[in-house]
Amino acid sequence: MRRALAPFIAAILLLSAGAGPAAADSFVPVNGAGSSWSSNAVDQWRRNVEQYGMRINYASTGSSDGRNQFKAGTVDFAITEIPYGLKDGGVVDTPPSRGFVYMPIVAGGTAFMYNLSVGGKQVTNLRLSGDVVTGIFTGTITSWDDPAIAKDNPGLALPKRKIVPVVRSDGSGSTAQFTTWMAARHGKAWDTYCAAAGRSTPCGVTSSYPTIPGKGFVAQPNSQGVAGYVAQRGNVGTITYVEYSYALKTGYPVAKVLNEAGYYVEPTASNVAVGLLGAEINTDEKSPKYLTQDLSGVYTNGDKRTYPLSSYSYIVVPTSTQNGFTAAKGHTLGAFASYFLCEGQQQAEVLGYSPLPVNLVQAGLDQVGKIPGADDANVDIKKCNNPTFSADGSNTLAKNAPQPSECDKQGNDQCDKPTGGAAPPPGSKGDTTGGGTKTPTGTKTDGGTKGTGGGTTGTGGDPGTGGSTGDGTTQGTDGTTDGGTGTGTGTGTGVAVAGPSTGGGPVVCSDDTGQCTNVVSMPIETEARSSGSISPLAVVAACLLLVALVVIPPLVSRGAQARKVRR
Amino acid sequence: MSATIEAPRTIPPAAPDEPDVPRRLGTRRSASDKAFRAVLLTSGAAVLAIMGFVGAFLLLRAWDALSQAGWSFLTTQAWEPDSGNFGIAAILVGTILIATVAVVVAVPLALGVALYISEYAPTRIKQSLVSIVDLMAAIPSVVFGLWGFFFLQGRITDLARWLSTTFGWFPPFQVPGSDPSDPLATATVYTSSTFIAGLVVAMMIAPVVASIMREVFTQAPVGEREGALALGSTRWGMIRRVVLPYGKGGIIGGTMLGLGRALGETIAVYMIISPVFAIQWHVLANGGSSVSSLIALRYGESTPFGMSALMAAGLALFLMTLVINFAASSVVARSRSGASS
Repeated sequence: MRRALAPFIAAILLLSAGAGPAAADSFVPVNGAGSSWSSNAVDQWRRNVEQYGMRINYASTGSSDGRNQFKAGTVDFAITEIPYGLKDGGVVDTPPSRGFVYMPIVAGGTAFMYNLSVGGKQVTNLRLSGDVVTGIFTGTITSWDDPAIAKDNPGLALPKRKIVPVVRSDGSGSTAQFTTWMAARHGKAWDTYCAAAGRSTPCGVTSSYPTIPGKGFVAQPNSQGVAGYVAQRGNVGTITYVEYSYALKTGYPVAKVLNEAGYYVEPTASNVAVGLLGAEINTDEKSPKYLTQDLSGVYTNGDKRTYPLSSYSYIVVPTSTQNGFTAAKGHTLGAFASYFLCEGQQQAEVLGYSPLPVNLVQAGLDQVGKIPGADDANVDIKKCNNPTFSADGSNTLAKNAPQPSECDKQGNDQCDKPTGGAAPPPGSKGDTTGGGTKTPTGTKTDGGTKGTGGGTTGTGGDPGTGGSTGDGTTQGTDGTTDGGTGTGTGTGTGVAVAGPSTGGGPVVCSDDTGQCTNVVSMPIETEARSSGSISPLAVVAACLLLVALVVIPPLVSRGAQARKVRR
Repeated sequence: MSATIEAPRTIPPAAPDEPDVPRRLGTRRSASDKAFRAVLLTSGAAVLAIMGFVGAFLLLRAWDALSQAGWSFLTTQAWEPDSGNFGIAAILVGTILIATVAVVVAVPLALGVALYISEYAPTRIKQSLVSIVDLMAAIPSVVFGLWGFFFLQGRITDLARWLSTTFGWFPPFQVPGSDPSDPLATATVYTSSTFIAGLVVAMMIAPVVASIMREVFTQAPVGEREGALALGSTRWGMIRRVVLPYGKGGIIGGTMLGLGRALGETIAVYMIISPVFAIQWHVLANGGSSVSSLIALRYGESTPFGMSALMAAGLALFLMTLVINFAASSVVARSRSGASS
């Protein structure tokens, strides 16, 4: 019933807002492919615009695949972390012959999500310096009790457990971001590893991570693949590089990474925003790489709130009608782009990303006009409610970013506070209800691990117990009881990807106290909740249908035979 | 009796100086017959032609890579086409190992299912069982992949650990890097392995194999079954002496069909395996590879030359599958039920 109401609500919203992207327009489906780094945001956005009748198909098959498909003309847009034209493994990724421009879509931090426990308790406050991260992912640091890790973590006694680095097996923007950083900051170690893996040095940036057989590395396809692998309960000792949102989604912690100022920081929205103040954006409008990023300033950003592996993700949009791209598609794509550059940015933080600053939103909106068929983006940028915007053009999010506490300083004993998806949701127990009730529907690891949050809230200061002992069901009950006693306003969400991320949303808030009010209401919420209540029914219906499919045909045929015999 | 044999002799003999020429037999086919034959001929030829074209296409596209790599293509254990260092030694072995695990698991399972359905199951539930098995064959492979990755993998590691500690003396069951005496040893060495990928593939091929076997078993001649039973054999004796020998062709044919599918299975393997490009004999250990999962993994992001290398790998798989299928069909053709499978 709520679902039936959704169009009306959407219509009312449209009427009241009046600035909805091209209301009452007819849209045609648009297809895209690419990055899984930013796919959590893209998936949320494209679900949001469904209410306007836009159908955006997106396959998160990896940045390299997205760029290649765009080049081959099989998709209308691609999303990628790195631009065309980079040299990878001695081969230059040539730009496509069709016209195209880049447009930033969202910022985020490449996080190091890990699964580690000590004495049955999950470790949630690991800190790593750049050298150690490089050492882990180049196979020189192989055990969690390595003195280099102990030096970063004076408050932790880590076991003599093997470190299992989980890397991407497909061509990926996450790998490209990570290897760009390693090549820039720890070139020697990276080149040594690369050479051992049979690549020519200097290795530089690469999209496909080289692995050496027998080193104990695990390679999995896609961000979902690596995050899903680390999030499997049994895979203790694993660590991977993946966008922060995947850690929130799966409920696992991320390592705080040491920045230039000597502080260990988490890739929260505000820390990423601070870090990216150091990014150098190509502002030469004539350059084919207009708006692309040079991140070396981010790596060396001296602000102590900087997350060093912050970066922007880009959409590649066509500027000419060829390869099946029509003005009608351009119209839809333009409307979608105006949506995510403006309104969509509000959700970035909740999802585990960081919103774009005003200059990039403005530049992006200008780029929208270059898409054939797109309406000129007559978006009132002041109404975007982007948390980074301010009257004087400075980045509010970065300006108000909380300073890291002294326990995050290098050499000091580390903070106890859990990170990433393992952090307890602040106060609002309704969130854990969301996680808890979701468990029975059995969305793989999400439900169970989401409950970790619930467990944490319950036991307080014992972050590990939930995650390491319970399974999905017990977690679920945890969550429900919590919800029963709590205020339980239920941000409960059912939509596969969005659900857990929304549940994890306030986690981001916990680290940026004061920013919590920024958590925006989402127009899609009604639909999300409704699908949550429908799903048990749908499951039952599907089961019945299945049983009917199996049982009815033989019964009918037997009945028919019996009748024949009688006759 | 003899009269009928004599009968042809009564035809007046031909002139003595002309050699004996057999009478020409001809049939005038009706228009519908001709049309039918033409349709059959075309479709038969089309299958061959399509297969030929696939082979030709693969060879054409693979030529670049093959001509650069030469014979080392068959012996190199690496996959870095853009650096010119690539070969299929490791991935072909990986493919065969995954398929072997799958067949070893699936065939006994399918044999049991087929025998139960065709010989033991009460008539009441037989049809339902057949439907269930067919339904299982209709589950998309990506679902099996998801199941394998998110459900099976975390739970099967204990079995893998037990196998490797108990049967570790058998080299393929060894897991390098594992230490059963270390309580902190990571379970990841048992994940993403050839074994798990093979198990998932086994689940996918078992229903296909089972339905072929069942089909053949039900055709075992009733007379012979009754004969065996009349001579006092038990039901199991009858199955052993009549059904199984009769159905040998079906068992082999089904197995080969399953093997063919296992060799080519892509997405489930892609999701589970952690690709390594060195020959991985240790089926329980992390890492493996298969041709089709490699193609799925890399085709989207390859340079033209990398694509050519992938095509060469595809060609190798194509040829291997052809050889296996021809071998299987020659075995099948010699068995009694061969014609039906």
